[in-house]
Amino acid sequence: MWLQEAAANTFDYMVLGFGVILGSMALFILSIALRVRSLRKDEALLDELEQSS
Amino acid sequence: MGPMPKALKALNVFTSLVFAVALYLVLFYAPREAVMGDVQRVFYFHVAAGWVGALAFLVTAVAGIFVLVRGDHRWDQLALASVEIGVVFTMINIVTGSIWARPVWNTWWTWDPRLVTASVMELIYLAYLMLRQGIEDPDRRARFAAVYGIVGFISVPLTFLSIRIFRTIHPVVVGNNDPTAQGTFDMTPKMKLAFFFSLFTFTFVYITLLWHRLRLQQFKERIEERKLRALTA
Repeated sequence: MWLQEAAANTFDYMVLGFGVILGSMALFILSIALRVRSLRKDEALLDELEQSS
Repeated sequence: MGPMPKALKALNVFTSLVFAVALYLVLFYAPREAVMGDVQRVFYFHVAAGWVGALAFLVTAVAGIFVLVRGDHRWDQLALASVEIGVVFTMINIVTGSIWARPVWNTWWTWDPRLVTASVMELIYLAYLMLRQGIEDPDRRARFAAVYGIVGFISVPLTFLSIRIFRTIHPVVVGNNDPTAQGTFDMTPKMKLAFFFSLFTFTFVYITLLWHRLRLQQFKERIEERKLRALTA
């Protein structure tokens, strides 16, 4: 690709790269949100247990 | 979990805004590189993700020192939160590097010193997360993780310096390139702006995520304590 005159057509690789970056960050944020939600359910259950005892 | 602090809400908004600006600069403002084409735009966030990985592991090592010196459990929470973010961003760094390499080096992977040291660093911190799970006693776990985090940090400067001390085909962004480096380019002023703004943005992404992850860890440990009390009552 080094003897060419125009820039290489690497648009698809760029899309793939940004897909990985944005997708990974979104997944990490989602994992935090899901873990918080799960802990909130546990907290509600513990509240119920404490009130009933 | 208590309500989100106002400062964190403000940080969420600020980080989202600067991230949107960084995306604009990288995708539209910075010119298309003359030889590599559009894939070179991945470079801005590739380096920024690597920077976040190194910063996160540095925070873990420093937090580890505080765990050993002061014995305060909150530093262990910080170390764990930071490692998790570091692992995610180092993974982004490695995978985007591979995507960039495919059209530029004509391969997804090569046993280059930078690629190897970065992958070893990632494995070291993945092992940190796994090994922690195997220790029940919180104090012992915190001390073990602290020592591991400090010793494991050796892999970070080694990764950074690998392209400067070993013969490599990986380009050097700051400093002189090895004559054998492939895929090097000179940054125009617009490219430099996009590059440094990306570093700035990802630093704030790290701080924001760290705060959220730390709150999650504190919440998790409070719930675990309550569960233990409920079981023993």
